[in-house]
Amino acid sequence: MIEAHELTKRYGDKTAVHTLSFTIAPGTVTGFLGPNGAGKSTTMRLIMGLDRPTSGTVLVNGKPYGQHRSPLREVGALLDAKAVHPGRSARSHLRTMAATHHIKASRVSEVIEMTGLAGAATKRVGGFSLGMSQRLGIAAALLGDPRTLILDEPVNGLDPEGVQWVRQLVRDLAAEGRTVFLSSHLMSEMSQTADQLLVIGRGHIIATGSVQQVIDSVASGAVRVRSPRADELAAALTADGVTITSPDASMLEVSGTTAEHVGQVAFRNGLPLYELSPRGASSKRRTCS
Amino acid sequence: MSTLTDNPPMTAHATNPPAAAQVHPTFPGILRGEWIKVLSLRSTWWALASTAAVITLVALASAMSLSATTDDPALAQGIEQMHGAEVIAGGFHFGMLTIAVLGALLITGEYATGTIRSTFAAVPSRTPVLGAKALVLIVLTAAVTLVSATLSYLVTMLQLSQYDLVPALDDPGTWRVLGGTLYSLIAAALFSLGIATLLRSTAASVTVALTVLLLLPGTLSFIRLDWVETIVSYLPLPASSALLTTGAAETQGVYLSTQASLIVLAAYAVVPLAAAAITLHRRDA
Ligand SMILES: Nc1ncnc2c1ncn2[C@@H]1O[C@H](COP(=O)(O)OP(=O)(O)OP(=O)(O)O)[C@@H](O)[C@H]1O
Ligand SMILES: [Mg+2]
Repeated sequence: MIEAHELTKRYGDKTAVHTLSFTIAPGTVTGFLGPNGAGKSTTMRLIMGLDRPTSGTVLVNGKPYGQHRSPLREVGALLDAKAVHPGRSARSHLRTMAATHHIKASRVSEVIEMTGLAGAATKRVGGFSLGMSQRLGIAAALLGDPRTLILDEPVNGLDPEGVQWVRQLVRDLAAEGRTVFLSSHLMSEMSQTADQLLVIGRGHIIATGSVQQVIDSVASGAVRVRSPRADELAAALTADGVTITSPDASMLEVSGTTAEHVGQVAFRNGLPLYELSPRGASSKRRTCS
Repeated sequence: MSTLTDNPPMTAHATNPPAAAQVHPTFPGILRGEWIKVLSLRSTWWALASTAAVITLVALASAMSLSATTDDPALAQGIEQMHGAEVIAGGFHFGMLTIAVLGALLITGEYATGTIRSTFAAVPSRTPVLGAKALVLIVLTAAVTLVSATLSYLVTMLQLSQYDLVPALDDPGTWRVLGGTLYSLIAAALFSLGIATLLRSTAASVTVALTVLLLLPGTLSFIRLDWVETIVSYLPLPASSALLTTGAAETQGVYLSTQASLIVLAAYAVVPLAAAAITLHRRDA
């Protein structure tokens, strides 16, 4: 269970995430969908207590991450597959983490086996492909047999077989009652992996719900808007029954309202529009591809 | 490389979870993690080997230049007051620099590669990680100092014996110089670790360490102003002088007393580390 309340993080004068509030439930796979720079990685670092929020709070399994007695048993995280010392072997990397928690060497071997790293475990990580690094990151996340998994773009760089394996793995983990939260910038990927979706654009949450709900709301009478200030427009449009997704930083797909309404809101807020087009159900295919 | 890109067989999700009872961070566990980290990197062995090599070679060089000293009548009487252990410790300030590089790498290596996030995810309280690194650094510095001193003793024996300067192992003066060398090297290493934790960059930290440890005392010593000389005497290298002599040479220059030296060097080690420990909590990893 992950509960964020009004989570805001600013880096200098750049606001990476803005008053995020959400709950990620256990027993299901929740996808975190958003374009590059939307704030997915930032949110995950905030959950892990690695970056300090500018304001707001986030709890994992009822407590701030850092206050758990056994952090690696609560949350396993893959934040950046390449963030391992290149001069160290995969096994050494896992052993350094295991040692802190007195996790047995047999568990290190086990996660190495599980992630298919057995052949490369003693090789220096510097020579790993992105796919191998992802496997190592997943091995590290599984090390403490955690109740909650946070995976930042875990299938990035994996071959089709690896992608299939990750999908099966996260489903199994969720079926065991664990919380699984994983990010991607591809709707097509999310629709095949996740049950629930949290869609983020420019630091704002723009849609939540089951994958089908999000797809349906986008498909039914969606309005496509392009604006250089899309995030402000998204914030201004947020209302009951309105779902907003953001395929890229300057574009919004708004559903549950009309093009006229979007135009009015933009005008009232002084926000320039470069495009405002009502879409039919055909947009479903585009969003999913 | 081909083995790395091959598709290894996929295994299903197995469950043999770690026993719940004892699985949480403790200081001994964190310390063990830091040992695995430091010993699994080649850069550690390079830094240690170059420290030993530099100290030994400079000791050998100063032992060999003793003959030049005796040829010069003005310096000849200086050798009378010299202690063999001082010759052996002659290369220590170069060792100070390589050991400072090791101290910096211990933490900047983690920031540069991003490993620091795995580290702090495993130990969210953060400070024990710094404590464990400091402890590892002290042990490594002590080990490399002992090895360097032994090597230096062996390689200079021939030269020193010509002047009857081979340090006696039952002479307290010998152990005083060795102890002073060890103390100063540990101070330099911890100073560098503290600075590096604050600065997070290898280049910046090594520059600061190089400047404070070696460059400043060298350049400022050309300025013959009382207050500048006072400042210089508090820099780590001059401050360590009192600890590296058997006492006879203490009269030359504005050197601190033994006690003052111990305190000043301890401050160099502790103050940056304490500042680092405090800011470590507040800053983003
Ligand atoms: N440490 C930082 N300092 C300054 N700005 C940052 C920092 N981290 C993130 N940002 C900014 O915050 C915004 C959100 O970045 P974040 O990495 O969280 O996005 P993301 O959704 O993970 O994107 P991607 O899909 O590219 O990984 C970006 O504009 C980024 O430039
Ligand atoms: Mg990211």
